[in-house]
Order: sequence, then structure tokens, then C-alpha cells
Amino acid sequence: MKRAGRYARWAAIVLVIFGSLFPFLWMLSVSLKRQVDIFGGPSLPKQPTLSNYTALFTQYHFGAYLVNSILIVGASVLASLLIGTPAAYALARFKLPGGLNSQALFAALLVRMVPPILLVVPFYIILAKFGLLNTRLGLILLYTGINTSFVIWIMQSFLAEIPTDIEDAALVDGDSRLSALRRIILPLASSGLAATAIFAVITTYNDFLIALTMTSTPAAQTVPVGISTLIGKIQVEWGPMAAGGIIGALPILIFAFIVQRHFVRGMTLGAVK
Amino acid sequence: MAVTTAPVRPSEPGRRPDAGRRAGLDRALPWLLLLPAAITLGLVSIYPIYAGVHASLTTYLYGRPVAGAGLKNYTDTWHDPVFWQAMEVTLKFVLIAVTVETVLGLGLALLVANVVRGARWIRMSILAPMTVAPVVVGVIWRLIYESETGFVNPLFTSLGLGAPNVLSHEGSAFFGLVLVDVWEWTPLLFLICLAGLQSIPQEPLEAAAVDGAGPVRLFFNHTLPLLLPVLAVGVVLRLIDAVGTFDQIFVLTRGGPGTATQLISIYAYNTAFNFTDYGHGAAMLIALLAFALLLVLVALSLMRRAAKRVAQ
Repeated sequence: MKRAGRYARWAAIVLVIFGSLFPFLWMLSVSLKRQVDIFGGPSLPKQPTLSNYTALFTQYHFGAYLVNSILIVGASVLASLLIGTPAAYALARFKLPGGLNSQALFAALLVRMVPPILLVVPFYIILAKFGLLNTRLGLILLYTGINTSFVIWIMQSFLAEIPTDIEDAALVDGDSRLSALRRIILPLASSGLAATAIFAVITTYNDFLIALTMTSTPAAQTVPVGISTLIGKIQVEWGPMAAGGIIGALPILIFAFIVQRHFVRGMTLGAVK
Repeated sequence: MAVTTAPVRPSEPGRRPDAGRRAGLDRALPWLLLLPAAITLGLVSIYPIYAGVHASLTTYLYGRPVAGAGLKNYTDTWHDPVFWQAMEVTLKFVLIAVTVETVLGLGLALLVANVVRGARWIRMSILAPMTVAPVVVGVIWRLIYESETGFVNPLFTSLGLGAPNVLSHEGSAFFGLVLVDVWEWTPLLFLICLAGLQSIPQEPLEAAAVDGAGPVRLFFNHTLPLLLPVLAVGVVLRLIDAVGTFDQIFVLTRGGPGTATQLISIYAYNTAFNFTDYGHGAAMLIALLAFALLLVLVALSLMRRAAKRVAQ
């Protein structure tokens, strides 16, 4: 009886994993098919080909999209870490007057929680005003702002977990706050910092709506926007679209695997550890 | 989650000759550390909200502001049947999807909570769908539903049920999108429930089991009440996010067929960016923002309460 229950449980788990991963495998399979085989009904690729992937780079500007994505994600995540981490440290270690600590934290969280669709019209109007539409700089500025709110919120919870004793000892020994921060806190917080950075990378790389509305040519368009350009009004480029999906998904799956231990914390904005 | 701040111990005064200057610097330090972040956040939140409100009070013609509109954009929106229909689709979508995700996520978490062997791989496989870009999720399901590339039509045909062409009919397109959302976001609620289950102390459960309580009663009397604070946070976070669902729908149906899958996000996007009517688009989004902020406040108070519960 007990054994039967265990088999049933494993059967259910296998079924769930299959449901979760099979759609990815379907996309992979379409991405490796020749055009003629795509329309030949469901089957494995008869003669696997990488032609859809090469087409992305030779015909559909994916080289430019990837470069844009890497530059925009890299610059905005770096900037938001530099701006957000000191603020997170201040909120974790100093008691500000008037209960400002928790108010500032929740204000930071607000920016991140509000769905982006609610902000795109004002973002668009502002970027248009400063001539930053369809530029990498425009996207970098917007993402820096959104990521900063996330960095403050998450880093504050990582930093608050570091006991104050070590730091106090350093202060008594004559270290200044800043050098204590640099010599003691940052090394201790490095795994939290890495997890925060990777989370910011994942959400920024995955963003579609903001990039879609603020850009119009491969000069600034990112990978998700590039993928959506393959869906024409009349015709959809199935093979390249599937290949683009794989290129969009692969780096993120790898990153997610690295931060798995912190995943719940990042995705629930620290509400659950 | 630690919202409380650690007590601050002032650095010992009079230890070193420059202690006075240092104490002054230490006092200013938190403000100096906060300043860049405050400016950045102001620029991406307060200023855009001001710009959004301003746009919602302006009449746009072919993408250019031509006159002040007063509250006209708002009253137009209020009397716009398409807006209300989009609201209805949004509410239906959000409620059905989040309910299914919560029940499935909880069930899944109970299923794997005690599994030790291969736990890391099982967890990673289950959460894969929520890690990739929503656009990619849209692409994946487009490839599955579409008659040319998918397996749904051939599967149904081979069972003698006829090809459903999921995305071409109003009812099936709507539920097709709900299914996509469930596939993508059940993992989030699964993760939250799993973390919650693993933080529940086992002793009371074991004691109750010894007293002869069955698994069903154990679950409803012990596990569920303890899980509830964490679960509530997850559900509200998911609700807020689901209200803004856009990317997957943009890739899969763009709101069609007809207006069957036109969520408020799609309608507002089309109004603002396809018809370059930023005034009406902004008015709709400001109205929705008020609604979302209400949800956010609920979420925050739940998170505070959950944090307190954990702290005890």
C-alpha cells in the first residue's frame, strides 16, 4: 500500500515535469527543422539543421539585438547596483528619524511592483521630450530606475542578515564606516549581491513591453522585441521564431539555475525565503 | 524578511583625534548614501506619474498635444463600452488563472515537499517556465496551438474530435491563454507554498498524527492555517502581476479573435500607441493604476504581517 503510494507520487512528479518541459522541447524541435518539415505535421526533425539560427543573424538583425540587450542589461544592472546598494546599506544599518526606514523601503518596492504597462505612456512622453526614443541610453535610464528599486529592497534584506558585531568591532578598532563597509560588509554580502545582480539581469533581459514601446529599429531593439518582429501581419517565420525563442530562453535558464537557492526570495520580492 | 533595522551603536567618541569630524561624517553618511537612489527613484516614479496625469488631462491629435481636455478623457473612458468589456475580460482572466495556479501550486508543493532524491532537479524543471521571457512563453505556445506547427490540432484530430484551432475561436482562445498563464505562473505559487511548507514546524503535526488525525484533517487544521500568511502574499503578488499581463497575449492573439482576449493592457496599449491617442490611453492607465495601488497596499500589509508571524 505504502509502496503503491510512492509509485503514484513519482508517476505524478514525472507527469508534471513532462508538462513543464515538453513545450520547450517542442520549440527546440521546430527550431531545428527545415522549412518543408515544419509544415509536414508533428514529427522530429528529419534532417536537423541550424539554418534557422544562421538566418536570424544573416537576415533578421539578431546580432544587433543581442549586442543591444547585452549593453543595456549590463549598464543598467551595474548602475542600479552602484546606486541601490549604498541606499540598502543605509536603510539596513542606520535608524532614520520618523520611521523613515520602512517608508523608504516600501516606496522603493512600489516602483517595482506596479506593472510596467501602467508606466509606459509617461515613460514614452518623457523619453520623447528628451530625444531619447529608440536609443540604448533611453532604455538604460528606465531600466536603471526600475532595477534600483529592486536592488534596494532585496539588498536591504540580505544586509540586515549580516550580524552587526563584526562591523562594530571594526569601528571600535578605528575603521571608518565606509572602510568597514568595503572591507567587511561587501565581502560578506557578495553572494546576496551576486543573486541580486542575476535577478536584475533576468528581469531586464526578459522585459518586452518597455523595449517595444521605446524603440523602433535594430539600433536599440532588444532580443524579445526582435523575436516579436518575426511575427508579421500576414506571415509568421516559424523556424526563425522558434530559434529566436531558444536564444532568448537559454541564457536565462542557465542564470536561473545558478541562483536557484535564492529564487523564491527574488521572485517574491523577499516576502518568502 | 527583515524590515526592522538593527540598533545602531554610535562609534566610540574621543578615541582618536579626528573623532569629532568623523562623528559628523557618520551622521551625514546615511543621507549621502540614500541621495542617489532617492533621485533615481523620483525620476522613474514621481515624474512619470506626474507626466501620466498631465497626459490624461490633455487632448492628443495624431500623437500631438493640441489642447487641455479637463476630465474629458476620463468621462469618455467611463462611457466607452469597449473599455468595460476589456475590464471584464481582464477580471475573468485574472480570477480564473490565479485561482487555478494557487490550487495547482499548493497541490504540487504537497506532492514534492518530502521528496529528497533529485529535489534540486525536480524544482528546477518545474520552475523553468517562469524564468524565461513572457515573449518566449508566447512563442512556445503559438508554436503549439498553431495549425501549421503545433501538435494540438493533429492530436485532437487523431482522437476523432476535429481540429480545435484554439486561437481562432473566442472561447477557446480565452481559455487557451488562461492555460498559458497557468503553465507559466503555477511554478511561482508552487515555490512559495514549498518554502512555506518547509518552514512549518513538524512536531505539532507529528503529535496530531499520533493522536489519530487523518492526513486530510491534518492538512486543514494544521498545515493550511500556518501556510496561509505566506500563501496570501504570493496570491496578491500574482494578482498584481496578472492585471498587467501583456507580452504573451501580444504574441499569441493581440486581443483577438474579435475582442475575446483583449485585456485592459492590450486595449490601453492600442489606444496609446496604435491610435497615438496618449490622452485616452493615459486616462485608462491612471484609472487602472489606482486599482493596482490598492492591491499593492493589500500586498504590503500582508507581507508585513507575514514577516511579523515569521519573526515570532
